[in-house]
Amino acid sequence: MLLEVRHLTKRFGGLTAVSDISFGLDEGNIVGVFGPNGSGKTTLLNLISGVYPPSDGQLLWKGEELVGRKPHEIAETGIVKTFQNPQLFGELSVFDNVAIAGHLRLKRHSGWRRVATLFPLRRRVSADFEHRIREILRLCRLEPFGDQPAASLSYGGEKMLGVAMALMCEPKVLLLDEPASGLGHDEVRNLDTVLRDLRQQGTTLCVIDHRVGFLGKLADRAIVIHHGAKIAEGRPDEVLADRAVIDAYLGRGHA
Amino acid sequence: MKLLLLWIPLLFVPAVVHSNVVLTILIFTFILGILAVSFNLIFGFTGQLSLFHAAAFGLSAYATYLSMAHWGISFWLGALVGIVFVTLISIVIGAICFRFKLRELYFAIVTLAFSELARLVILNWNGFTNGSLGINFTLTPTVWVPGRGVIPVAGTLMWYYLSLAAVVLAVVFYTRIVHSWMGRCFASIRLNDELADTLGINVFRYKLISFVAGNIGAAVAGSLYAFYISYIDPNYFSLDQSLAIIAMALLGGREFVAAPIVGALVLTALPHVINVNAEARLLVYGLILILTILLMPRGIVGLAARRRRAA
Amino acid sequence: MLQLVVGQLLNGIIVGTLYAIIALGVTLTFGITGIVNFALGAFMMLGAYVTWYLTDGIGIPYPLAVALAVIFIALFGLVVDQALFRFTRNNLINGLIVSIGLISVIVAVVLMIWTTTPQNMHYVLPGVFRIGGVIVPRMKACVFVVLLLVILFTYGALTRTWAGRAAYAYAQNPEAAALMGVRTNVLQAGVAAYSAALAGLGGALYASLYSITPEIGSGYILKGVEAAILAGIGSVMGSFAGGIIIGVAEGVGSIFLPSAYNDAYGLVFLVLILLLKPAGLFAANR
Repeated sequence: MLLEVRHLTKRFGGLTAVSDISFGLDEGNIVGVFGPNGSGKTTLLNLISGVYPPSDGQLLWKGEELVGRKPHEIAETGIVKTFQNPQLFGELSVFDNVAIAGHLRLKRHSGWRRVATLFPLRRRVSADFEHRIREILRLCRLEPFGDQPAASLSYGGEKMLGVAMALMCEPKVLLLDEPASGLGHDEVRNLDTVLRDLRQQGTTLCVIDHRVGFLGKLADRAIVIHHGAKIAEGRPDEVLADRAVIDAYLGRGHA
Repeated sequence: MKLLLLWIPLLFVPAVVHSNVVLTILIFTFILGILAVSFNLIFGFTGQLSLFHAAAFGLSAYATYLSMAHWGISFWLGALVGIVFVTLISIVIGAICFRFKLRELYFAIVTLAFSELARLVILNWNGFTNGSLGINFTLTPTVWVPGRGVIPVAGTLMWYYLSLAAVVLAVVFYTRIVHSWMGRCFASIRLNDELADTLGINVFRYKLISFVAGNIGAAVAGSLYAFYISYIDPNYFSLDQSLAIIAMALLGGREFVAAPIVGALVLTALPHVINVNAEARLLVYGLILILTILLMPRGIVGLAARRRRAA
Repeated sequence: MLQLVVGQLLNGIIVGTLYAIIALGVTLTFGITGIVNFALGAFMMLGAYVTWYLTDGIGIPYPLAVALAVIFIALFGLVVDQALFRFTRNNLINGLIVSIGLISVIVAVVLMIWTTTPQNMHYVLPGVFRIGGVIVPRMKACVFVVLLLVILFTYGALTRTWAGRAAYAYAQNPEAAALMGVRTNVLQAGVAAYSAALAGLGGALYASLYSITPEIGSGYILKGVEAAILAGIGSVMGSFAGGIIIGVAEGVGSIFLPSAYNDAYGLVFLVLILLLKPAGLFAANR
C-alpha cells in the first residue's frame, strides 16, 4: 500500500470535521471520494496534503509517518493536491504558472547544480523543461492560452490549469478536489482521458467529485463520507447501490 | 540585454558634461539606486515590505568605517566586513520573522522594530559610535591603478566611475536572480504563497534568501555612500531614510529590476531642480508615496512600458 | 527607593494611558477596516499643536480648546479616510504605505508652520496631589481620569449599543454584516473619524503635560501599535492593559537602566509577543 490513512481525525474547536477515517491507496489505483457538501471531503484531502495538522491519527507513506510535515515537504515526497476553488498566480501567464510548478522537477533533476544556473551565459529556460511544460499544456488543452494571463481563463480553464500545475510536480499520488465541477461536457471527457492516462503511467489518484456518473465510472474503489465519517467503501457500483449511501447522499431517485 | 545599450552612454557622460553638480547627482543616483534596487527585490519581487533596509544601509556603513579605523584594513575589506555583518544579522532577523510566518503587515512592523533597536544602539553606544554626533571620516578608499600605484579614490570623476561600476554590477546581479528559477519562486511567494507551498516551494527558505540578498545590496550602498560623503550618523537609520527608499522604488516602478534607479534619480535631482528645504522635501516624499500608490502604482517605468505596449 | 518605584509606577500608568488611547485607535481601525493607520501618531501630534495654538495662541479656555481640537482632528481623519484610505481597503500594504506618506505630509506642514522649536503650553492645572508620600501632579491625574473614562465609554459603546455590536459583527464577518443591513461604508468612515478623535484627544491632553515638537507622533504610534499587538488586536480593554504594561515597564525600567533605552522595552515586548503568542495576551474572540 502506497498511502495509508489510519484513524484520521480533525477537530476545529467543537466541530469534528473528520472523524476516525481509515483507508488505503494502492499504487496505480483511482479512489473516488463521495459525500454530501460539508461532509469533510476537502478537509480530508487537506489533512493528507499537510495543509492542516490532524487532531488524531496517522498518515503513512510507504510506512513512513507524514503527520507534522509541512505542505512543501509532503509535495516533495510526491503527494500533490489541487484546490476546489482554483488557486493560481493570476498575474502571470499560463506558461509561467506551470513553470513555477516545475520547481520540484527542477530540484529533482538538477539538485544543487541548479544554483549554478543562476549565473549562466544563456538565460533561457532549458529546452527539456520547456518541452515538458508545453506537453502538459497540450494534455490539458491549455496550449492555445499559453501566453495569456492565468486570470483571463474561463473557470473550466482555471481548473485544468490547477491540474496542469499538479502534473508538473511529477506526483506519485494526485489528490483532486472536485476537478470536474464547473467543466463542460467536452472538458469532463478530456479530464477523464487525462486521468486514465495518468493511471496507466503509474500515478495513483484520489478524487473527490459530485458527478457520480463521472467518478463512478472512473474510480476503481469508492469511499463515501458523511458527517466526517466513512459510511461505505468498496467497488463503485456496490457502494452506490448501498442503502445507507442512498439515504445519506444520493436520494431515492438515483437508486 | 538591451539595457546594456543604456549603460554604455553613461560611460561617456563625464567627457561631455562638465558640471560637477550633474555628476554629483548621478553619483548619488547610482549609489542610492543600488539601495532602491536591492529593496525592490524584497518588496517588489517577493512581496515583503521590509522596513529594515535603511538599518542594513546604516549598519554596513558603521561596520565598514569602524573596522577600517580599528583594524587598519582597506576600504574593500571594510566593505566586505559590512556585507558579512549585515548578512549575518539579516539571517537572524529573517529567520525569526519567517520562521514564525509573520504575514506582510506584522513583518513590516517587526522589521521596523529591529530597525529602531539598531538605531537606538548606534545612538547610545557613545564610546564606540560617537552617538548622535556621528563620525567625520579621515579615511578614504584607495585603489591600485597600474602605473600610478595606490591612490585614494577622490574627486568626482573617480567616484563617478566607481559608483557606476557598482550599480551596473548590482543590476546584473539582481537581474540574474529575478530572471532565473529563483525569481519565479519569489514571484510565486508574492502572488500566492500558500499555493507556492503546496507546489513544493520552501517558502521560508526563499523569503529568507530574498531578504538576505536584498540587504546585501543595502550593505554595499551603505559602504559607498558613507565614504562618498565622508560622514555617518544615526540618521542613516531614520524613518526618513526608510521612506526615501520606499519612495524611490514606488516612483521608479516595481516590475523591472533597474526601474527604482529612475526613482532614485528623481528624488536626488529634485532638491536641485526646485529649491526646497528639508521640510518641503519631507512633504514631497510623503506626497510621492501617497500619489504613486494611489494613482501610479506601476511607477514611472511601469507607466512608460504600458504606453509603449499599447502604442 | 520604594517611593521612587511607586512614583515611577504611577507615572508609568499615566503615560501608559496615553499609549492606550492611541492603541485603542489602532485596534479599532485595524479590527474594523483592516488597515493599520500609522498616521494616528501624526494625528495625535496635530491635536497637540491645535490645542496649544487655540489655548495659548488665541486664548480659548483649555477644555473648549480640547473639544474643538478633537472635533477638528476627527473631521480631518474622516476626510483623509474618504479621500485616501477608501481606495486601499483591499490592500493592507498599500494602506500602510499611504499612512506612512501621510505622516510625512502632516509633519512637514507642522514643521513649516511652527518649526522644530519645542512649544510649551501654560500650566492648566497647577499643583499636586499627595498620596501617601508620593507626589502626583494634578494635571496628570486629571488626564488619566479623562482617558480612562473615554476608554470605558468606548468599551461600553462597543458592547452595548447597536452601532457598537454592528461594528463587532462587521469585524468578524464583513459580508454577513453587510447582508444584515450594516452600512459598511458608514461604519468604516465612522471608525476612521472616531479613532482620529481618540488620537486627537490624546494629543490635546499631552500638550498640557509635556512640551510638544513635531516628532512626538512617531514615538507614540509605535508604542500604540506595540500596545495593541501586545494585548491582541480587537480587544478594547486589552489595549488599555497593553498601554499600561509598556508605560510601567518604561517607568520602572528607567530606574535600573539608562533612560536612553526606554523605547526598547516596547520593541522587545512587540517582537516577543509576535513570536510567541501572535494573537496577543488578551486575544479577543474573533
